[in-house]
Amino acid sequence: MKLTDEMKDALMIIGAGGAVVHLTTCSADGKPNTVGERFVAVWKDEYILIADMFAQKTKKNLMENPIGVITIAHPVKGRTWAFRGPTTIFQEGLPPDFEFQGANAKDVLAEWGNWAEKEPPSEVPPDIRPPRLVQRGVIFMKVDEIYSYKADEAGRKIL
Amino acid sequence: MAKLTPRMKNWLEGLGAHIGTATKKGFPTTIVVESAKVEGDNMVKFQLSNAQVEQIKQNISENPQVAIGPAGLGCIRAAYQFKGIAKLEGNILEVEVREIYCTKPGPEAALRLDTLPYENIIKFESTRWRDTGPPK
Repeated sequence: MKLTDEMKDALMIIGAGGAVVHLTTCSADGKPNTVGERFVAVWKDEYILIADMFAQKTKKNLMENPIGVITIAHPVKGRTWAFRGPTTIFQEGLPPDFEFQGANAKDVLAEWGNWAEKEPPSEVPPDIRPPRLVQRGVIFMKVDEIYSYKADEAGRKIL
Repeated sequence: MAKLTPRMKNWLEGLGAHIGTATKKGFPTTIVVESAKVEGDNMVKFQLSNAQVEQIKQNISENPQVAIGPAGLGCIRAAYQFKGIAKLEGNILEVEVREIYCTKPGPEAALRLDTLPYENIIKFESTRWRDTGPPK
């Protein structure tokens, strides 16, 4: 499923503070985990990437239950979208031909494995800026479904 | 027992939350609610629309575990996650918070806060953040 241009723009606001999202994952026995994520990008129109910066419970969940939901937290401006689909974490050390949902981990890490270099977080206010960006990998979602989280139409399928 | 601090309460009540739910087999669904009411030490109540109730009622019925992250700028400025047990009373989602985590990116991500003495949580907050809630 391809994201619309409006969705891609909303997720990648380069140099303007970026989008802020929540990522919900879940253990295999149903315990959800919902965390805010700051470093977000789009890959080849149909995947959403998030820098993995010590997302410990997220990683544990994805290793046993590889699915997630991404909801836009800020700026919303009517972009009340929830993206759901198979999700994993790419990290250095995977076999060179490792693929997930049609994407090669090596290719993704080559482009987004060093987020601080590609998109330095200079616009993040000092009181919430990590002292040093330590990235362990890339959280990687293939978007399969998009639904509205707007209150009066929550759950309505958009794409 | 988990006890929310005034800062946590201010962010949840001011901007609402993203609420993660799931089937008992782990298929997740997230709803977003724009405000909340914190009662007592650890009860958070959300007024849901009919559509939101329809979206999550089956999940809550079979698996009452939920995860809550502050909405809006609270997503990063109020880097907390609240986990608890939910029930629906009509259109009100009541969540008894049982665990509180710091989700600040970096080495303190996933630090469990509710197991600290309450005064230590207050001290932790005062050394990590300058605000006491969302901007007015």
